[in-house]
Formats: sequence, structure tokens, C-alpha cells
Amino acid sequence: MSFMTYLSKRVVRMVLSLTAVSMITFTLLQLAPGNFADIQRISAGASQFGGAGTEDMVHAFASRYGEEIPAWRQYLIFMKGAVTWDFGPSYKYPAQDVQDIIAQGFPISATIAIIAVLLSLVIAIPVGVYAAVRQNSAADHGTMFLITLGTALPNYLTGVILVLVFTLTLGVLPSSGWDGPQHMVMPVLALVLGPTAVLARYVRSSMLETLREEYVVAALAKGGPRSTVITRHALRNSMIPIVTVLGPLLASLMTGTVFVEALFRIPGLGLYFAQAAASRDMPLLMGTALFFALILMTMNLIVDLVYGYLDPRIRAAGGVSRWRRSQKSPQRQPA
Amino acid sequence: MSSASSLEVEDLRTEFVLRDRVLRVVDDVSFTVEPGQALAIVGESGSGKSVAMRSVMRLLPKTGRVAGGQARLGGTDLLGLSERQMRKVRGRDIGMVFQNAMEALNPTLTLERQLTEHLLWHGICDRAEAKRRAVETLGDVGIPEPEKRIRTYPFQLSGGMRQRAMIAMAMVTQPSVLIADEPTTAVDVTVQRQLLDLLARLKARGTGVIMITHDLGVARYFCDDAIVMYAGRVVEHSPIRPLLAHPAHPYTSGLFSSTLEVGARQRALRPIPGSPPDLAHRPPGCAFHPRCDRAEERCGQEDQPLLPWSGNGSDLVPGTVAETGRPTDERTDDRADERTGRREVACWKAVQHG
Repeated sequence: MSFMTYLSKRVVRMVLSLTAVSMITFTLLQLAPGNFADIQRISAGASQFGGAGTEDMVHAFASRYGEEIPAWRQYLIFMKGAVTWDFGPSYKYPAQDVQDIIAQGFPISATIAIIAVLLSLVIAIPVGVYAAVRQNSAADHGTMFLITLGTALPNYLTGVILVLVFTLTLGVLPSSGWDGPQHMVMPVLALVLGPTAVLARYVRSSMLETLREEYVVAALAKGGPRSTVITRHALRNSMIPIVTVLGPLLASLMTGTVFVEALFRIPGLGLYFAQAAASRDMPLLMGTALFFALILMTMNLIVDLVYGYLDPRIRAAGGVSRWRRSQKSPQRQPA
Repeated sequence: MSSASSLEVEDLRTEFVLRDRVLRVVDDVSFTVEPGQALAIVGESGSGKSVAMRSVMRLLPKTGRVAGGQARLGGTDLLGLSERQMRKVRGRDIGMVFQNAMEALNPTLTLERQLTEHLLWHGICDRAEAKRRAVETLGDVGIPEPEKRIRTYPFQLSGGMRQRAMIAMAMVTQPSVLIADEPTTAVDVTVQRQLLDLLARLKARGTGVIMITHDLGVARYFCDDAIVMYAGRVVEHSPIRPLLAHPAHPYTSGLFSSTLEVGARQRALRPIPGSPPDLAHRPPGCAFHPRCDRAEERCGQEDQPLLPWSGNGSDLVPGTVAETGRPTDERTDDRADERTGRREVACWKAVQHG
């Protein structure tokens, strides 16, 4: 199977999956109790919109979704726009189209996510390899203890500690906002710990498995320096399972981390996603959910392509999905 | 390149240190491999054959340690070298061929990478020359279109080709000694023959070969000498042909009568009863005595040292290869070999009965 055939098959599958995701999300939204207008009315006292304001808004977006239009037609209208990347205006932010909200929030969330994941890789790979090479030593046990601690610490708690140290005590970093590199440091640090811990664990166990392979002994028997044998012969093969976790991990961070973005007041996607779900803001929820699905699928596609780069056997088989399905699938890490 | 050094292993002892005890896995093993000679190491699984070889290469797992003895290559004791010096010996002076090329070749690196990297590590030549040598060696081992094949990955080759590529990988540095750990076990018979011919050519060029094998046919075809190991010790040491014709140690004859050989007259297979001892509970005296049908009280009391042996053993062990109608001219060969080779056996009964 040629690469192009493989790729187009994958794209067709992505489109089908996205359609399914949109149907399921829309159905769930319809089944959820309450609707946008009711929720706005109930929270009217606390909201910036008055009761009358809400009525105005309902009329304002009636141009696209009238109140009397049945749900299935609302869905079709939304999807008709969606295929041309036009999700229409948000209920809650009627001045903005959903795709514009995504275009604003996504680069911010993605920047934090990519930096955080890269940083955690840079830390996790050497730590995992170090622990694996010194298996069962005090160094290994110590590292793994710290790693377990890292997994147990939620990122919003880390964030609070960071604010206490860097803003309130040292006064070197701003605690909120999004304007330049000084605003990135703490959110990235808060996000890095969890993925680092998870990845280091994977690297260690994968490396331990690879180090037992006979080709590692064979490379040592050829006179290879230990460090070269580890980096050239063992590490590459150990990275294959790591890539599997990396894709979904990156996707979930890129589409916004609700707590960390809220804590540091970062105008990323996570905030909008959470608001959309809470206020039953159909276009915003559908738009962000579909976007999330798209990012996740793209990441998985990239992961599969990287497999092919790392392992020529997969490249030769012309497709990864069949091979991957036969592998033990690692658990997805919640963001 | 030192293409004419012999490997002399003397009183090699290897131990595995477990949580609560120490297991001696290789016990006072000695042998010599001269340039252009091949030594077979024969024995059941777990008899310490592979561990002995890993000890010489100093590639034991973390729990293993060499507790004594020497392994001299061209006069230098490998066991006394620093890790850095030892690294220069591995792959350059001693090459290693593994049982299963599918596992011993890295699946994600091309043959070129795997056949040239040690030439570069050892500073033998530059990259271009390394590639030229690798292509040449691949051609030597009978891989067609070596210039093209060198760019492929191990999984793209057939089983036989892979095994040959692995031998090429060990050969490319022209080591003085080649250790082959059951190189033909994982391949079918026709390929086996080709691989043996390949190793025979290597031997003819002056490489000393150590072959770990279960297969007596292979040992007979290819090797000059043999040691038979049982529970970490050498129980018999002999030139190969007299050994096959007249095994002296009851374990050796048991091993022979439990294997089939093509071309030999039909005979009943007689398995050795029981299984090899757990090294943590090594039987006292001769470790083989609980399984030996000729054991006497003395066998369980005295350690059996290797002693010179000059008998023909046929009265002691009836029904072995010697009596299965091997052509007479081969028997004459056996006698010719006996003149040159010293035989040793670790069994007082065999020594007494001559």
C-alpha cells in the first residue's frame, strides 16, 4: 500500500469519526437538562446579562437557530456551517464566531502545551533511562519515588505553590495574564510535572524491556561503549511505546487545561470549553468538541507516522493501524 | 589485526550471586582454542556453556561474576583487563555469533549500520572503507547483491540470510577467535550446511572457533576438539572423532545414545533419565551420579577430577556410536586422531576400566 493510499484512507476515517463525534455530542447536549436561556435566567442576578438581555440574545441568534426550529434542523444548520469552518456565533459571546474564539484561544493553549510536553520529554527521557540502567539501585528507587510524587500532585496545586513562591515570596513572576514569556513560565512548570512523571515511568519500563533484548548484548559484544549502545540500539526501540502516549497527551493539553488556565487567567481554549459545557452554549460546545476531536485524530495520525519513522518494520507493512491494534494499548493519560 | 592468537581458558569459575546464596555456574573449566581450530562445547541446557562464553567476553548479567581462573588471548589475561581495554577486545579480537539472528540483529537499524559500527568504534578504518569491507564480507558469506542488501533491515531478509548477515557482522573485523552460540539451531538443514561451510572457510583462514552446540552432527562435521559439560564442570575433554566413537564418560555416551544421527545404523534412542541438577542442590561427588546407570556408592562421595584416559571405552558403554556400524574406514580415522589428541575424563570408573 502506497503512502498516499494509506494517508487518504486515514483522512476518510477521520471525517467519518468527526461526523460521529458531532452527532453524539449534539445528542448528549439535547439530553442534558436545561438550555442556554434558562441557565442564563437562573444565574441572571450574578450574570452580566439581565433577564431581558437574555431574551434579546435569544432573538439575536434566531437569525441562525430560531427557538421554534426542531433540534435535528439545528444540527443540520450547524453542520452545514461547520464543513466550511463556520461554526456561527456563540450564544454566550454573540459578538464572536466560535471559529474566531478557537483561533484566539488555541494558539495560546497549544504554545503552553507544546512547551510543556517538550520540556517533560527532555526531563523524562534521561531520568527514565538513568533509572532503567541502574535498575533496583538506590538511584532507581529514589527517582521512581519522586516520579510517583509527581504523578500524585495535581497541576492546580503545583500552580498555587508556584504562585506562592515566585509571585508572593520572590516577586519575580506575574501571577496572571498572557503577555510575553514571563507569563508562560509558571503555567508551563505547573503542567510539566504530571506528563514528566508519566513519561519517565514509560521510558523506564520500556528501556528495561529493550535492555534485555539480545541485540543489546550483541552490540556490547561488538565492543560498543555502553552509552553508545544505549542511545543507538536501545533508546530508539524504547521510544516506540512512548510515542503512543505522547499523541493523546499533547492533544489533551493543546485543547486547553481548564484548571491551569483559570488559575493563571490565561485566555486559552480550556476556559471556553468549560463555560460552553456549563452554559449549554451549543455552537461553542460543538465547535470546541469537534476541534478537540480533530486535534486528537491528527495527533494519532502523526503518532502513526512517527512509528513508521522509528520502526522500519511498520513502514514496510505500509500501515500502522493493524500492527498497533495487535500491540498492548497503553492507558490514556487524563489531562 | 591479531589473526593468530590462541585463546586459553584455565580454571574458569563463574558464580551468580543471589539474595541468599552463591551459585557456581561454571566450575574449573579449562580449554584451549588454537588458530584455525574449532572446539565444540557440548552439554544440555543449563550446563554452563553459554555462561562460560559470556564470562570470557565479560558480558555476564549483573548478578554474575568471574570468581577465578584466566582467559588468555595471545598471552593477555582478559579477566584482568580494565573495562575500557576489554571493550577493545570484544568485537575486534573475539567475535560472537548468536543463536537467533532475528533477536541478535537490531530490527530498527540497517545492515550497513550494524556491520560497520564496530569497525568505527575500534578505529579500524573510516566510514567509506568500513562500508566497502561490510559489502565485501556480505558477499563472502554468500549474500547476493551485497551492495543493495546492505541498505536493508534485518526483517527484510530470509532466515538463512539473516543468520549469514550476523556471521558477516562478527567476521567483518577479522577476529582471531569466533564464539558461535548454537549458530545453526534456528535454521533449517540446508541452510545449516551452508553456514557450517562458511565457518569452515573461516577456520581455514586461521580463525579459532568455539561452537556451542547440542548437535553432535554439527560438532562432528566441523570441530576438532570437544569438551562435554555437565552442571558447570567439564566431564570429558577429547578430540572430536574418538569422542564420538568411544565416549568415555557415562554422561557423554548417554548424550549420544539419546540423539539421532543421519547415516548411523538404526538404533533405539535411550533418553537419560531425570533432568540436569538444580545448581543450588548440586549432588555431592560426581554431579551426574543420580542419573547414571553405572553409579556406585563411591560416585556420590568423591569429586571426580579430569584424569587422562586412553581406553576405547567400548566395554564400558555398550550400544553407543562405536557399535552402531559406522564404516570401518572411519574407525581407522578415529585411531589416527587418537594419536594426536589427549583425552581426559572425570569418571573413576571410566579411568579404571580403560
